[in-house]
Amino acid sequence: MSAPRTIPADVLTSISANSRWQRFPLIFGVVGVVCLAAAFGLSASTVERFHFSYLVAYMYGLSLALGALFFVIVQFLTKAGWSVVVRRVAENMMGTLPLFAILFVPVAIGLHHTHHHWWHLVPGKDPILDAKAPYLNPTFFFARAILYLVIWTLLSQAFLRRSVAQDQSGNPEETRRQQWMAPPALGLYALTVTFAAVDWMKSLDPHWFSTIWGVYYFAGSVVALFAMLSLLVLWLQRDGFIRKIVNQEHYHDLGKLLFGFVIFWSYIAFSQYFLIWYANLPEETIWYAHRSHGGWESMGLMLVIGHFAIPFFFLLPRAMKRNPVTLAAGAGWLLWVHYLDLYYLIMPVHSTGGPQPSIVDLLTLFGVVACFLAAFAFLAKRSALVPVKDPRLAESLAFENL
Amino acid sequence: MVAQAHPEPLDRRVPLVDPPATIQQITESVAAPMEWKAPLGWWLFLAGSLSCLGIWLGSVGYLFWTGTGVWGVNNPVGWGFDIVNFVWWVGIGHAGTLISAVLFLFRQKWRTSINRFSEAMTLFAVVCALSFPTIHIGRAWLLYWVMPIPNQMAVWPNFRSPLLWDVFAVSVYGSVSALFWFVGLIPDLATMRDRATKKWQQLFYGVLALGWRSSHRHWQHYEVAYLLLAGLATPLVLSVHSVVSFDFAVSQIPGWHTTIFPPYFVAGAIFSGFGMVMTLMIIARSIFKLEHLVTRHHIENMAKVTLLTGSLVGYAYAMEFFVAWYSGNPYERFTFINRMFGPYWWAYWSMIFCNVVVPQALWFQSVRRNLGVLFVISILVNVGMWFERYVIVLTLARDTLPSSWGSYSPTIFDFSTYLGTFGIFFTFFTLFVRFLPMVAIAEVKAVLPEANPHHDDGHHAAHGGH
Repeated sequence: MSAPRTIPADVLTSISANSRWQRFPLIFGVVGVVCLAAAFGLSASTVERFHFSYLVAYMYGLSLALGALFFVIVQFLTKAGWSVVVRRVAENMMGTLPLFAILFVPVAIGLHHTHHHWWHLVPGKDPILDAKAPYLNPTFFFARAILYLVIWTLLSQAFLRRSVAQDQSGNPEETRRQQWMAPPALGLYALTVTFAAVDWMKSLDPHWFSTIWGVYYFAGSVVALFAMLSLLVLWLQRDGFIRKIVNQEHYHDLGKLLFGFVIFWSYIAFSQYFLIWYANLPEETIWYAHRSHGGWESMGLMLVIGHFAIPFFFLLPRAMKRNPVTLAAGAGWLLWVHYLDLYYLIMPVHSTGGPQPSIVDLLTLFGVVACFLAAFAFLAKRSALVPVKDPRLAESLAFENL
Repeated sequence: MVAQAHPEPLDRRVPLVDPPATIQQITESVAAPMEWKAPLGWWLFLAGSLSCLGIWLGSVGYLFWTGTGVWGVNNPVGWGFDIVNFVWWVGIGHAGTLISAVLFLFRQKWRTSINRFSEAMTLFAVVCALSFPTIHIGRAWLLYWVMPIPNQMAVWPNFRSPLLWDVFAVSVYGSVSALFWFVGLIPDLATMRDRATKKWQQLFYGVLALGWRSSHRHWQHYEVAYLLLAGLATPLVLSVHSVVSFDFAVSQIPGWHTTIFPPYFVAGAIFSGFGMVMTLMIIARSIFKLEHLVTRHHIENMAKVTLLTGSLVGYAYAMEFFVAWYSGNPYERFTFINRMFGPYWWAYWSMIFCNVVVPQALWFQSVRRNLGVLFVISILVNVGMWFERYVIVLTLARDTLPSSWGSYSPTIFDFSTYLGTFGIFFTFFTLFVRFLPMVAIAEVKAVLPEANPHHDDGHHAAHGGH
């Protein structure tokens, strides 16, 4: 039996007029704004709390879009064939990056709360902060933030625009152009993501430093990407779209990559923890010391189990990755523990005594994710759900794991 | 054969090997070096390698007789050439495992033309690497003490020492790589057995082929074993050099203790390994007339991996440097300034030049397709990676206490031992190219267009290709 080499006529490759996906941009947009407004309203007396919760949620939503940008770049870098049928979903995830420039505004407003250690620097008081002042100061911070957001917007739109244009023209030059852009794009991506992670998360503990920090955020983002991509593909299929053409062969590959990056995240997280623990230098262990009492230590242990051990054994068997139900379960679980991972990185700066989960956390998370889904649905209904004239579409349709 | 004038097609994959490669011709061209009467050049190369091996034996013999004082190591630079060379050789091995295991899992079928060769390189490099810790312990005849062998004195090795983890990491890596290599060899050894005309060949290949008959059942078991070994070897690609990086990174020495060391060392290892594969392959494919199996595409792909891993190494240098400044820690900052402008500035800038500046040429396709330039770059990559380890180790010369500063200069025995390991490496290699198939015959046949059983519409899209 041989898989089709063209998309069968009965496969829906774009959002139909009567689908609920037509209303998703509005529904999720309203939900997102209401959740964020409610979170802000509920924390009116402790606005600092809102800004910390929002920062976690923002970094979470951003990781989905940045992970997708990485995925798309790498597909062109490696001239991948298998992934064409799922690439548009990732491209639409990546296409939400301009939204994160807007969603950055609350982060920017709250910086004097979240990053207060160095935001109002009094020279002469803290020699370490004085030494970092040329980098950690509001002006340069904003200049960099704008640079990152502009670069991500330009990169994502450059790839998305060409891919969508090819749906009409079928011009293979669009693919060649994207292949040409991919290597320098990856370099820009690596540097911007690293320094954004340093600026927005590491500098919350401004005395502390770790050279692997950028890779850590990147690793978590890619886990989140493969989890979210799998879920969105399965969701679209459940609602009747892109059925058959995305099949268990593609689930299997998404599952393998998800599994692989779970291990990569664990490797990076272990490298950071282990080297700091072993050398036992106070200036470095302080970061883990803040995270080893009052309940944070349980959360750290939970990450070891929940972000490594459970998904490792769960996703290891071949059948788990090829079955949409188990793949979705693994992906959903990882999306949740990825949130806890970011919570563990950011929140102890605020809740120094121990985790203080709050409805504000959930509302900001729902708010940012709903905004992300609104933008995703908006992009999804603007163009086909698969790159219908991609030159490697036939290869992707016929793809089989051997 | 020739570089394509027009861009490669997007809707199909170009064949991985060039004409005249056919199922019969592949066997013929790979078997030829084993069935020729050895040419004079081979004997000369073997003689040269054995001479280097003799230098190694002489150096090590003198070392054992006299003691580690014959080396340049001192206080504070307690580690010198021996650890530099150890890390360098282990790193070179990594490309082989990456090609054989990681690229297998990523379905990069172009690997089939180069995996055998690079895995052989891995094994020989690991042998060279292991020689250094063995002789560094001073009393090599007590080497078995590194193993946790029960004894009446209840003395155990220090399990908290990364040097001990090295013993396990590298020996597991060596064993799995050897096993993987051998499993891949079995079908080809059977081919050689069946072609053998001399008694010793029949015996040699016959015993090693383990009774392989190419039955359907054999191939099924083979494929499963190969996949499992690839899965097991993949974490080893990362773990070995991560553990090697722990030798430095678990310490408290500025410039050594930094959290990016594990992935940074792995990237550097793959970088240097691909450099070495290119150095050897560019020569070997020409001498043994394998240009149609190891095509310019293969070389170009290797150049791309070299560019990628070189960029990762450059990223790590940048992060180390930035965070040394960002830390605000005067010792961290001093270490990096000292590397650039201190007494070993020449080593630092050699490293930057070879590892960061030179690979930038690989952005250009004309460079990636120019074998001469590529050959020079591949050698510079390994020069650079040697200097990288030298720079890291020489951080010891100036620690946080200026009164204990010192310097390091290698002796003639440091150099001769290092040169001698090339003797070990090339002696093995010379024998390898003469007595074992240096391209995986069965695997390359499997990526020929005619090996694809899908007769749908003449495309061979799903079956790999460049």
